[in-house]
Amino acid sequence: MTDLTAIRSVLAEPFMQRALLGGLLTGGLGGLLGSFAVLRQLSFFSDALGHSALLGISLGILLGINPTLVLIPFAVLFALLVNQLVSRSGLPADALLNIVYSTSLAFAVVALSLVETYRGGIQQLLFGDILGISWQDLAVIAVLLVAAIAYLALSLRAQVLLTLNSDLAGAFGVGASRHHLAFIVLLAVVVAVSIKAVGVLLISAFVVIPACAGRLLSRRFSVYSLVSAGLGGGCALLGLLGSGLTNLPSGPCVVIVQFAGFLLALMVSQMSRRPTATAEPAEHRIPGAGPAAPGSR
Amino acid sequence: MGSPPVVQVQNLSVLRDGLLAVDGVSFALARETDTALVGPNGAGKSTLVAALLGLLPRSGGSVRILGQELGPAGELPRSVRSQIAYLPQTLALQGRFPLTVSEFVGFGFDLPGLNLAWLGGGSRGRRQAIQQALQRTGCGDLGVRLLSELSGGQLKRVLLAFCVVRPRRLLVLDEAQAGLDVPSTEQFHQLLLELRRQEGWTVLQVSHDLEMVRRSCDQVLCLNRRLRCSGSPDHALSPERLLELYGPNVVPYRHQHNHAGAQRP
Repeated sequence: MTDLTAIRSVLAEPFMQRALLGGLLTGGLGGLLGSFAVLRQLSFFSDALGHSALLGISLGILLGINPTLVLIPFAVLFALLVNQLVSRSGLPADALLNIVYSTSLAFAVVALSLVETYRGGIQQLLFGDILGISWQDLAVIAVLLVAAIAYLALSLRAQVLLTLNSDLAGAFGVGASRHHLAFIVLLAVVVAVSIKAVGVLLISAFVVIPACAGRLLSRRFSVYSLVSAGLGGGCALLGLLGSGLTNLPSGPCVVIVQFAGFLLALMVSQMSRRPTATAEPAEHRIPGAGPAAPGSR
Repeated sequence: MGSPPVVQVQNLSVLRDGLLAVDGVSFALARETDTALVGPNGAGKSTLVAALLGLLPRSGGSVRILGQELGPAGELPRSVRSQIAYLPQTLALQGRFPLTVSEFVGFGFDLPGLNLAWLGGGSRGRRQAIQQALQRTGCGDLGVRLLSELSGGQLKRVLLAFCVVRPRRLLVLDEAQAGLDVPSTEQFHQLLLELRRQEGWTVLQVSHDLEMVRRSCDQVLCLNRRLRCSGSPDHALSPERLLELYGPNVVPYRHQHNHAGAQRP
């Protein structure tokens, strides 16, 4: 009964209501975008974007401009530049992204150290401040979520074919570079908008963990994206509620709940995994490949 | 007078990484014929195919597909693009990829552009087309399996189902049999031959399997940056031509006897 009263009192707070709604929307958005980003091996890209966002915020503070206004164009520009670098440099993407994100982090910390008033606020930037989310922020996130759902649903064929093989996609009429760029820009905007709630260090968890859990639980692609979005939103709600009840930091609480959800998904998928139903005739097998088992390719 | 060629390539040149990978190549693919593109590694075969499909920019020349000029950035009218099918060597199916065979084949049925044709499995006609395509390619029992659970041979048949789920005119294969063992390769070619006849496909296939090319293709294009020779398999794959194309290390082997009725010693 005491617990229920505590939950009620937490839910009665307007800032908590905004935070829960913000968590639901941000978590859902992260899970939805993450379901595509993980399969396209762009999860590290979202991490690098998150770190670069800190540089965008720092520049905004240094120049005396509202950081939120700087962040979205900065993240988009940064994403497009990194995308060009990855495609033109001939270096491995993970190494290049590592260079980019550690350098931007270094510049951001140096820039922040020059601003007296922001020295105490770096923890908020790193781990987010979802409790400080405003109705205006919520409106922006909601619009972005609707736009992301509409774009990804309408272009699902293009997104899936592009993930499987860009030449296959192009041959079957998909504007591969156009859709790739659109997705990168969308991911950059989502990361930029979510930074305030989630923080620079934890943003990649919002993109990667629900998507990986969804991948373990789903067989159909459309279901996988929905499950990932649902897990993202649901874990954010539970984590924030736990944070409100225990007075622990909100962003890390959400990530811990996401991790618990991932472990649960892993257990469920292990328990439900059956041996391949139809044994493949020997003449169909590739020599040395062994029996066709889930995830064996 | 015969029907116009399905593909007409004139003086095609393609730059790749600053090098002229394809240099002034011209050829035509007549309707319902099977043409093989052969040549050593690095000869520009995949580059030529990519340029022909509009996936790579051309540095010179022209490509006409089904009477329509391919635009500088690979543009083709949607009605022509939907008549083209392509089989790549591989798909990026790392780990557990949440996509069933039926879902994948369904995307082969849908037309390019933004749409929600996939929603709820799609229309009745779409679901029937998927089922028929799976049946015709011997994948009737694979519909609910994950694409990432399939063996190499099964995956190739599913890719053929992806192509056959909607009527098409041109099929381009880029070493589609790579990674298959001998029985799976044979089975794949039998299926391809059967579908080609039924569908009236014009086929262009990049291949290193010269014996298969000799047996089943109508025309051979020998490429090594330039078109070295072309013609019937007997003409283009003669020992002298192969020596010219591949160098002295290739010994042409011709499998001539018939296995039918053969007895074990």
